[in-house]
Amino acid sequence: MKKIFSAIAGAIVLGTSAGCTHLGVQPWEREVLAREDMQPDSNALDTAFDDHIYFSKEGTSGGRGFGGGGCGCN
Amino acid sequence: MAEKDKRISAGIAAATCGLLGAAAPSMAPAQESAPTWDIDSAVLYYGESDERVQDASLAIDARRDFGDDRSLDLALHLDTLTGASPSGAALADVPQTFTSPSGRATYTTPAGEVPLDDTFHDTRVAVDAGWSQPFARLYKFNVGLSGSTEFDYQHFGVNLGLSRDFDRRNTTLSAAVAYAQDTIKPVGGLPIPLATMPDAVDEDEQAPNRMGSSDSKNVLDILLGVTQVLGRHSLLRVNYSYSDSSGYLTDPYKLLSVVDPVTGELVARTPTPGSDGPRGIYRFEGRPDSRRRQGLYAEFRQDFSGKVLQLGYRYSTDDWEVDSHTLEARLRLPIGSSNYLEPHLRYYQQTAASFYRYSLVDGDPLPQFATADARLGEFDATTIGLKFGHKTVDGNEWSARLEMYRQSGVLPTAQLIGSQLDNARLPDFDAVILQVGYRFKY
Repeated sequence: MKKIFSAIAGAIVLGTSAGCTHLGVQPWEREVLAREDMQPDSNALDTAFDDHIYFSKEGTSGGRGFGGGGCGCN
Repeated sequence: MAEKDKRISAGIAAATCGLLGAAAPSMAPAQESAPTWDIDSAVLYYGESDERVQDASLAIDARRDFGDDRSLDLALHLDTLTGASPSGAALADVPQTFTSPSGRATYTTPAGEVPLDDTFHDTRVAVDAGWSQPFARLYKFNVGLSGSTEFDYQHFGVNLGLSRDFDRRNTTLSAAVAYAQDTIKPVGGLPIPLATMPDAVDEDEQAPNRMGSSDSKNVLDILLGVTQVLGRHSLLRVNYSYSDSSGYLTDPYKLLSVVDPVTGELVARTPTPGSDGPRGIYRFEGRPDSRRRQGLYAEFRQDFSGKVLQLGYRYSTDDWEVDSHTLEARLRLPIGSSNYLEPHLRYYQQTAASFYRYSLVDGDPLPQFATADARLGEFDATTIGLKFGHKTVDGNEWSARLEMYRQSGVLPTAQLIGSQLDNARLPDFDAVILQVGYRFKY
C-alpha cells in the first residue's frame, strides 16, 4: 500500500513539475509524437484481445484501462 | 448445444471472410468521397494445448470523427469457445468420476491426468458504444456504455472519463470511473460454496446442494492517469487503478478434491444404489464476496529514427493477496515505407490467493473460503510474439500476428500430503494466438 502511494506521489511530482523543467516540447516539435505509432492506443484492438485473454487466464487484470472484463470466464 | 456452437462458429467464420474479403475492393469508391468511418477489424484464433480451450473471435471497432475532436466509437466482439477447462480437482492414480455442472450427467477423467471438464463451451456477444468530445479549452470528456451476453452470464456497464491538458498540452491528467453490473446464471444452478458434489439426478429433478439459479456481481473501477511528453521522441503514461468487486465472485464450475490426511489420496465415496455419481469426495469452491484491487501501470514510448520501442510495467495488489508483476515490451521496426515487423515479449508473475488450496484435507474444519483454481495459484507466464503489418496505397492496413503463451504454476509444496509430494501436478498449458486484422476507412 505504501509502495503504491509513493509511486503515485512520484507520478504527480513528475506531472506537475513538467512546467518548470525541460520536459515537453513546443507545438512545432510534435512531428514524431503525432505519428500513429506513437499514440498510446495505437494497437487498441490487439490490447483489447490481450486484455480479454489475460483476464480469463490470470488472477489479476486491468491497469492500462478498463479493458478485459464483462465476462463469466473468471 | 455443441451442434449449435458449430453453426454459430461457421456463421462467424463466414461473416468474417465476407468482411475481410469484401473490404478491399470497396476501398476505391470510399477513397473518392470523404471517409466517414475508421474501421478496425480482426479475427483471432486462440488455442490451448491438450484439447483445452479453443476460441474463435471476431472484433469490429468503428470510429466516426465529427471534427473538432468529437468522435463516436462503436464496437462489436464475438467469441465462440469450446474445449475442456481444468475443474480444480487434483490428479489421482485412479479414474475419477464427476457429476457434470448441470447435475444431470457424469464424466470420467482417466487415472494420472489432471481433471478437465469438457462440457465447457460458450458464445459471447459484446457491444460497446462511446462518445468523446472537448467541453472547454484543454478539457475533454468521454462517456460510454458496454454490454455482453453469454449463455450463463450477462454484463452491463457505464463509464465516464475526464481529461485536462497542461503545459502546452505536454501533460495530460485524466480521471475515469466505470461501473458494471453483471448477472451469473450457472448451468444447473448456483452450488452451495464448499458443499459436496452430489450424485447425478434425472432431468425432472432439482440438483441437490444448490442455492438458487442466479446471482449478481457489481464492479466499480477508478482510473487516474498522467501522460507526459518527455521530449520530441518519447512519452510516458502512468495510471493508478482501483477496483472494487462485490457480490458473487465464485466460479460455480470449480471444485476441490478432499484427500486423506496421511496418504494424500482422494477419499472414496460410493454413489447411492441406482444412481451414478462421484467415486470420491469433491467440494464446490467458495470465494469471498468482495475484492479490492489496486494497480500501478507505466508505459514508455521512445522513437529511434522511425523504430518505436514500447515498454510497459504493471504492479497489482489486492485483498485476496494476489500480487502480480507484468513486464511487456514491443519494438516496431519499419521495413521500407509500407511494412513493419513488431516483436512482442511479455512476462507475468503472480502470488497465490490467501484461500488457494491444492486440495482439502478430510477431517479438518472446513475453511471459510477455498479455491483450487490455478488462476488464483502462484504461477508465471510468458508470451512471445511477432506482428507483421502492411499499409496499402490507399492508407489501409493489413496485419497478422502470432503469439505463444506459456503458463507454469508453482506447486504449494507446504500444502502437499503423502503421495501428493510425488504426483501433484498443476494444469500448466501452452496456447497459440493467431490474429489477422484489416484497418480501413468506410
